[in-house]
Amino acid sequence: MTEDIIRIDHLSKSFRDVKAVDDLSFRVREGELFAFLGVNGAGKSTTINMLCGQLARDEGEIEIDGERPESNTDEIKRKIGVVFQNSVLDSPLTVYDNLQSRAALYGITGKAFRDRLSELSGLLDLSGLMKRSVGKLSGGQRRRIDIARALIHNPKILILDEPTTGLDPQTRKKLWSVISALRRERKMTVFLTTHYMEEAADADFVVIIDGGRKVAEGTPLQLKNAYSGDFVTIYGMTEEDIRTLGREKYDKVRDGYRISVGNTREATELILKHPEIFSDYEITKGRMDDVFLEVTGRNPGEGGE
Amino acid sequence: MTLAVFTKRNIKLFFKDKGMFFTSLVTPAILLVLYATFLGNVYRDNFVASMTEGVEVSEDVIDGIVAGQLMSSILAVSCVTVAFCTNLLMVQDKARGAVRDIAVTPANPAVISAGYVCASLVSTLIICFVSTGICLGYVRFMGWFMAPHDVLMLFAAVFVLAFFGIALSSVVNFFLSTEGQISAVSSIISAGYGFICGGYMPISAFGEALRKAVSFLPGTYGTSLVRQYSLNGVLTEMEGQGVPAEVTDYIREFLDCTIYFSGKEVPESAKYAVVLISAMALMGIYIALNVIKNRKSA
Repeated sequence: MTEDIIRIDHLSKSFRDVKAVDDLSFRVREGELFAFLGVNGAGKSTTINMLCGQLARDEGEIEIDGERPESNTDEIKRKIGVVFQNSVLDSPLTVYDNLQSRAALYGITGKAFRDRLSELSGLLDLSGLMKRSVGKLSGGQRRRIDIARALIHNPKILILDEPTTGLDPQTRKKLWSVISALRRERKMTVFLTTHYMEEAADADFVVIIDGGRKVAEGTPLQLKNAYSGDFVTIYGMTEEDIRTLGREKYDKVRDGYRISVGNTREATELILKHPEIFSDYEITKGRMDDVFLEVTGRNPGEGGE
Repeated sequence: MTLAVFTKRNIKLFFKDKGMFFTSLVTPAILLVLYATFLGNVYRDNFVASMTEGVEVSEDVIDGIVAGQLMSSILAVSCVTVAFCTNLLMVQDKARGAVRDIAVTPANPAVISAGYVCASLVSTLIICFVSTGICLGYVRFMGWFMAPHDVLMLFAAVFVLAFFGIALSSVVNFFLSTEGQISAVSSIISAGYGFICGGYMPISAFGEALRKAVSFLPGTYGTSLVRQYSLNGVLTEMEGQGVPAEVTDYIREFLDCTIYFSGKEVPESAKYAVVLISAMALMGIYIALNVIKNRKSA
């Protein structure tokens, strides 16, 4: 059985009167892609800062790979690599200088650094970038360097704080292929926050927070089943045919009509009842956007109140 | 090793920031040109007017004393303002978010703080020593009477004053976190420090109360050291040309080469002690501030 690599129990943090994180508990299993979702100001960054030992907690327990921050902060910092929302590398310096200075902060210098750099260069295809200033790289290249920096000390957990925000779809796809390779080849645990729900849909487990509290958790399938119905799209039928199904709500889509149903069982019952209508059709699960909207009442990327 | 690499990173960042580097380097040079253009004649006229009747000195000596005065003014101010400039990197790291990236590492916070101080010291000394070289070139051109010992001690005084500037700026910069604050503090230091350290105007020309107040500021003694080494050679030459010792003693007092605290002359060793002990005390405050901050976030 896979073990929990992150355990958070009853975590709380307030800034004066504002409760940023309120009695938050969750688990992250080793090697999984964990999505931590919430609108802006929901408490995601505060939680991450407490995980990384950058912020003291008011209450609760944090355990990372068996270590507790109060007794072994440095060991925890060695186990976590962070890709921040905005690149925080030194723009005027070259990629090599940036990675060298950050590696030194983990005590990785000399040959150990060169060996690790060569490994990362192969993994992230950095060979042509080493002598270039970080400030002159494209958004995608810069993100790859951010990931290289986060992995420089070979951490067990990679925290990605909205890593693809502002990137074009092609670069996002490339970045995800790198992250997938890392998970596949190194069994790395990835802790992701994102506003792109299609990225969250690929996660092994999702926690959604709102106002500092956990409002939903589960696998994407469990969440979709719990908070969003299924959709049946019927092709090759007229609107009159669709009306015979007795459904008040349906949408016209290209080449057909889409009907919203509560769940897959309800869809099956509908099909069995009207086999003549369902000659060409498909059943799709609701999207994570629908789940997010249902749970928080807001769209992903919106600010909290 | 971590300290060496982090210090190297900070030095590179400072010198790669062309705006900051050139401002730091060019400011003393610009000051020299402005001083020579606008204040040179004023200093010269004041000096000639202050000569008692019957006392005559050569043109070379007059030029040498004016040049020495200009050089000491520029260096006394630059050592501290350049230190503030180089030490701003610690604030820029906060403003640009690099400090978060550093904080997620297990690096000892004391090493990080030391890395900023060491880098700032190296960058400041590079710029201040280059400035000293330029100023010495100017003095050589105008009228050279400096002994090798004075030149060496001038570099020593620049070192000590730069160290004091770094210690002071470390404490001040600890409380800053935005680019706006950087700009405000830079402006205040550039405009104000020259006056309160006696760089722009001799302290002896201040009113009694102000003179007493600045005698409690360590920078005053740093300025006095720089003045002392810059002018010692030319004043000795004046004595060699027959100017009575009472006159050169008066000039030493007027130009702050000789300085008093509570009516007593402050010896050279005490000047060093005041500046160095103040710098060490400020460093102690900087370390204490960092320890308190780290305990709070733990």
